[in-house]
Amino acid sequence: MSKETFSQISPSEFFYRNRDLAGFSNPTRSLYTSVREFVENALDACDQKKILPDIHMSIKAVDAEQSDPKHYILTVRDNGPGIDPKHVPHAFGTVLYGSKFGLKQARGMFGLGATMAILYGQITTNKPVTVRSCADGKTSDEFVMLLDIQKNKPVILKHNQKEASKTGLSVSIVLEGDYSKAGSKIRDYVSQTSLITPYASITFEDPAGEKFHYPRIVKDMPLPPTVIKPHPHGVDVETIRRMIADTHYQIPPVDNKMIEKIGKELGLKKNLNASELLEKAQKRWSDLSRPVRTIVSVMSFLNIDFEGLQKIRIDDIDVANKKITYWDFGESQSHAVDLDTESPFYKQLANTVQGDTLLTFLTKRFQRVGPTTAEKFCEFAKLKPERRIGSMTNEELVRLADALQKFEDFLAPDPSCLAPLGEEPLSKGIMKFFNPEFASVLQRSASAYSGFPFIVEMGVAYGGDIPPSGLKVYRFANRIPLLYDEGSDVVLKIVNEMDWSRYKIKGDPPLVIVSHICSTRIPYKTVGKENVADRPELERELKNAIQYLARKLAVHMSRQGAADMAKKRANLYAKYVPLISQFATELSGRKKEPNFKQLIRLGSEIEEQIQ
Amino acid sequence: MKNKSNRQKTAEARKERLLSALQDHGINIYEDLDKGKFPQFVIPSRSVNNIVYDKKTRQYVLGNASAVRSSRNMSQLRSYTQLTWLAFFVNRLVREGKSSTLRDIYYSSQAFSIDFEDQPESDNIIVDLEAVTTSPREDFHIFPEERSSVFGDLTIEYTVPGYEGKRVNLSDHPDGYLIGPSLSSAELVDTSAEVVIAIEKGGLFTRFVEENVHKKFKSIIVDTAGQAPRSTRSLLRRLNQELGLPVVILADGDVYGEHIAMVIKSGSANAAHLRELTVPDAKWLGVWATDIEKYKLPTIPMTESDIKRIYDLQKDPRYQEGNWKKQLEVFLKLKRKAELEAFSKYGLTNITDKYLPAKLEESKSL
Repeated sequence: MSKETFSQISPSEFFYRNRDLAGFSNPTRSLYTSVREFVENALDACDQKKILPDIHMSIKAVDAEQSDPKHYILTVRDNGPGIDPKHVPHAFGTVLYGSKFGLKQARGMFGLGATMAILYGQITTNKPVTVRSCADGKTSDEFVMLLDIQKNKPVILKHNQKEASKTGLSVSIVLEGDYSKAGSKIRDYVSQTSLITPYASITFEDPAGEKFHYPRIVKDMPLPPTVIKPHPHGVDVETIRRMIADTHYQIPPVDNKMIEKIGKELGLKKNLNASELLEKAQKRWSDLSRPVRTIVSVMSFLNIDFEGLQKIRIDDIDVANKKITYWDFGESQSHAVDLDTESPFYKQLANTVQGDTLLTFLTKRFQRVGPTTAEKFCEFAKLKPERRIGSMTNEELVRLADALQKFEDFLAPDPSCLAPLGEEPLSKGIMKFFNPEFASVLQRSASAYSGFPFIVEMGVAYGGDIPPSGLKVYRFANRIPLLYDEGSDVVLKIVNEMDWSRYKIKGDPPLVIVSHICSTRIPYKTVGKENVADRPELERELKNAIQYLARKLAVHMSRQGAADMAKKRANLYAKYVPLISQFATELSGRKKEPNFKQLIRLGSEIEEQIQ
Repeated sequence: MKNKSNRQKTAEARKERLLSALQDHGINIYEDLDKGKFPQFVIPSRSVNNIVYDKKTRQYVLGNASAVRSSRNMSQLRSYTQLTWLAFFVNRLVREGKSSTLRDIYYSSQAFSIDFEDQPESDNIIVDLEAVTTSPREDFHIFPEERSSVFGDLTIEYTVPGYEGKRVNLSDHPDGYLIGPSLSSAELVDTSAEVVIAIEKGGLFTRFVEENVHKKFKSIIVDTAGQAPRSTRSLLRRLNQELGLPVVILADGDVYGEHIAMVIKSGSANAAHLRELTVPDAKWLGVWATDIEKYKLPTIPMTESDIKRIYDLQKDPRYQEGNWKKQLEVFLKLKRKAELEAFSKYGLTNITDKYLPAKLEESKSL
């Protein structure tokens, strides 16, 4: 039998092995995905600090003579807040290092994609990434670095500083790409991004040196989203476990600082033995801070003094099983000591370590849950409200998670974490972008699906510069254009289900629909994140929005129709009477046409009377 | 040979009558224009109120109501021009002996700046001209795209340009002959057949040919391909009137099948403005509702719309008596229907070996 070996892999190694999942399956898609990741990061950074974005992006071939796929230099520069030079190496040289773990709407998730793009560039060209960042508006730090894939660590090759006059970030990578194939998608992406981000100025320079410039259309930025607590319907068991872990009181590290702190709080002058120390602690107990109380309680159970405390490491305080586990450095082995439930320190330790009661946990850690709802929920879940969450067993946690999903009396999710574009900027963007003869926009009020709030914004534009080539749908989610997999998208489904003839639209109309879905979690159908699934709640909102706009369009169409009719009526006789004359002449077998001038004159009189 | 000269004479007469009617309209329009008067057409109304059942001719006919389409009326000016154009175009088709289809008319209009919005609009104008001239569109040399077929010992002689005098026998080609413009205008010269069997379905038409039904029963077989098109109804009428052959009809055992037979016999409301499309003595052989029980045929349940159709037809004056009335009642009682193919349960040739002879015998007493 062969022997199997198991080894742990780092997150960067995992992504290296599974890069298809993140949209880096081939040179065409990878170039497109890299552009997206960097541009979206830049826009997100500007949004967060309420800076009107000014984005420059360029793609240059390393060797223009070569044929695709070949090496390209992709550079994206923004005027955002920049990143503190301390964090630059980790932010760009570590997979899963990010600041976007909070719950609010953002374009990218977890800052994963940018590092993936860097990783992809490195494995296809073996060239380092160059990051230039200025966070204070005075100095700019330039890092040239590679990623150590196995260790998930940055390797800095060069670091230098320069004077700078404004904040911003510039990232430049070399990667294998196929611009001849990806080019049209990238140009669509940039132009559509400018439509849904009308407050940004975006410039794109393509490999041929052609510049595409999309100037800023509106000067007001939409309100930024706020970070909020999760909604009970939106969490799964793993999230609850993590939430509990960080509510759960952490064992404080015992270092010199801590010993100093304990000494100070107890007012110690010299090193007392264990029993003297405990005596003193009990007297001052109510003045002590939580970490100090924990350490002192542990010392009481282990019956040790400061000297002893420095020789061990507390590994676990398991209240459920009434045990403290610690590692003795001197003996190099682990010990477990039973907790004496009679001791005055037991209750204190238990309360500290077991964390909040379930009731407090629910009201403090979730959005829109008050004490009344929390109590009703506890009854529903058959869990005691005063139960401490740190002491819950695995089955109880699963029961809790399950009940959180099933309980129906929670209020709808709070939409303040969403950042829709707003009707006015959307309308201005559409007017500027399509120059239509008619446009109308609508922002629906917030709704939610399984605990995730969402808002639908939609616009229609008709006529003007729009070519009469049939209905076209521009799909956006969280201000990102969705360009692939159009066919299976919920928005397309809704649009196609519409009976457009009821709204006076027929044939191949010069009609554009812009749909924008904002949510803390867009229900994408696939990992490629290009098509949105048909959740009933989402479908209903989209349908309401499109029907409202279609009615507006229908009103415009009938007005337009009336105007067209009036125009058509003019000179109707001048058009038709000569035709009648021509047909009648042949039909009657005559050679010469009759004199029909009089009739045309009479006809125009009739026309005048009617108008 | 007597038939032939008659046929040619009537055809010529019809053509002359149509051409002179068209020319009369042309002259009227011409003179109105010249006098500074707005020309107009008087079109018999085809609204439901004006369609009545005529017991004498045993078919639906138009009443006396008519509508005026005037070039003076701004909202009618366009359709007036379209109708004038069609008269002009039909005049060319008939004079030059050329044929066209409904779709072809729609497209041809574009060359003359006549803007039909869609084909239904141009189809409607064709019906208008039929009503104005009281001639079927076949006389205009305009045919639908749908076509049904005929097979059997019948010799015809073409009258279409280039084929004049050429004769064919309709049993020469086992797939049958398309009932198109050339066949519709041909002379019916000679036949040994004693009966015409019209059958609703192409599949069974082929089976009948394979089973030599034309020989066994001395018959001409006509595939109506569902509700019989006008050209087919017109051929059935000529076989009946000119050659004196009785016409019998076999259709599915449901309310639609019964009505297919009725339309061949006495016309449809849609063609109430036309004559000479009916075969008043045609006989409906089956499948009757009573046959379903008698022959123990496998059935399927009727749908809502089948049942609604029965109630509709019960209001039709033609279904107020005799077998027509009785069969509707039995269908309504059974609430089940049977296809012609149902006979396959008892073997592929059961319908030709057993059912057809029995029904032909039965029909003699009808």
